[in-house]
Amino acid sequence: MSQPPVVRVPKPARSSYQPHRVLAKNVLLQSQVKHFREMEKRLPPEHQSGIDSEKIETEGEAADYIRRVTQKLRQAGGRAQ
Amino acid sequence: MSVGLDNLKHVVVLMMENRSFDHMLGALHAEDSHIEGLTGQETNLDTTNEPAKVQPQAAFQGQLDPDPDHHFPAVHKQLFFGTPGPPAVPSMQGFVQSYWDQQHDVAHSRKIMYYFAPDKLPVLHTLARNYALFNGWFSSIPGPTVCNRAFAHYGTSFGKVSLDIFYLMEPYKSIYERLLAAGRTTKLYYFDPSSSTQEVVNLLKNQPEIFGTYEQFLEDCKRGLLPDYCFVEPNYSDHPGEGGGELLASDQYPDHDVQEGEVFIAAVYNAIRQNPDLWKSTALLITYDEHGGIYDHVPPPGCIPDGFHADLADTGGVPFAFDRLGVRVPAILISPWIAKATVVPGTEDPVKGRIFEHASIPNTITQHFIGNYDNRSPREKAAQTFLDLLTDQMRPESDCPSFEFD
Repeated sequence: MSQPPVVRVPKPARSSYQPHRVLAKNVLLQSQVKHFREMEKRLPPEHQSGIDSEKIETEGEAADYIRRVTQKLRQAGGRAQ
Repeated sequence: MSVGLDNLKHVVVLMMENRSFDHMLGALHAEDSHIEGLTGQETNLDTTNEPAKVQPQAAFQGQLDPDPDHHFPAVHKQLFFGTPGPPAVPSMQGFVQSYWDQQHDVAHSRKIMYYFAPDKLPVLHTLARNYALFNGWFSSIPGPTVCNRAFAHYGTSFGKVSLDIFYLMEPYKSIYERLLAAGRTTKLYYFDPSSSTQEVVNLLKNQPEIFGTYEQFLEDCKRGLLPDYCFVEPNYSDHPGEGGGELLASDQYPDHDVQEGEVFIAAVYNAIRQNPDLWKSTALLITYDEHGGIYDHVPPPGCIPDGFHADLADTGGVPFAFDRLGVRVPAILISPWIAKATVVPGTEDPVKGRIFEHASIPNTITQHFIGNYDNRSPREKAAQTFLDLLTDQMRPESDCPSFEFD
């Protein structure tokens, strides 16, 4: 049986990784942070991250904030008010 | 019903970010004239009145910085520059002018016309050549991400044309809630908790049980546990991995590296392709939420109104009744039951052309997995479905490509 055609997929350069990229350059990520902030406000205090999302300046910081709130939201089992 | 459709058990949708059809796939017109891509002669005038021609010089990263404006007012200019505006046919002449508005840099503004040469995108171009490529798949709204993704999840954006938070309105429900209520299975797989979902307000809050991660998607593919319908979100940010290492954004949102998106698309495809039972019973749709402010030459057509009117504060004062579509985006339907090199005609063919948009997704899924279901938006009910592209003939293993990573 003949083999399927295989296509090689190159990896991006290591220098592509830029977690310190300014958040202001990505309006989608900014809006995602805003949405998470709104959701977090409705969680019980014990499920809030304690992070001031207004002070987030980089993409990496945004990812860390989103990670914490995602975990809190799931721990709260969707009990946001 | 075709044999392919009869065998279909799973539909997977992967939605990438912010690239137009011509930017990603326009080069393919040179090898197949049925593909409604670029002739190489398309132009926009720059702000010095010099024509800026399309060029195969798109780069993976570092070229579209700043992120091209794709809010409603900017897209309106991209579409209607030099015309009185709707109901005139979009001129598609305002992309360079719109990008110039952000930096007042003429040379930089011309880069919005750049597209990828075929050797740059081996994954997307291989899939386009081998499965069904849609010439006429348009974003649902001439605007940004959140409202466009809403059409894929709910069949409407509930009157929104922006990135702002929106809320569901009765009687419309998400495709996930509909499926669960009908006793079907569904999942929305986000990449990881640091990337999470764009659907936090309406779904993560209320429906945590529908969510999984990309790691779970891979495991579900391997073990044959994929649900009836699932939606995959790429990684939206560069961030450290849970177990260490560096994770690159794979969404292809400018200025994220397009090549990492290629790797991600290939990995999703391979996950399905490498499980023989899954491969013959799954259809994978790869599309993009919107064009991200990047040039496309095909004027978006009108559509059935959605019953909403946009807030004039969000449209720059332009009345908008959700009665016309946004800019064209790449869309490829993948299955071994699809004839090789299928090109689904779009607006260029007034007789056989078919127009798709993101509301085609919930309409297709609802019709296939649920059947009659009335509480849906007018746009969704009117949207074309795409599973008729599955045929009676399953292609052999040797005819379906696979990907290997460097």
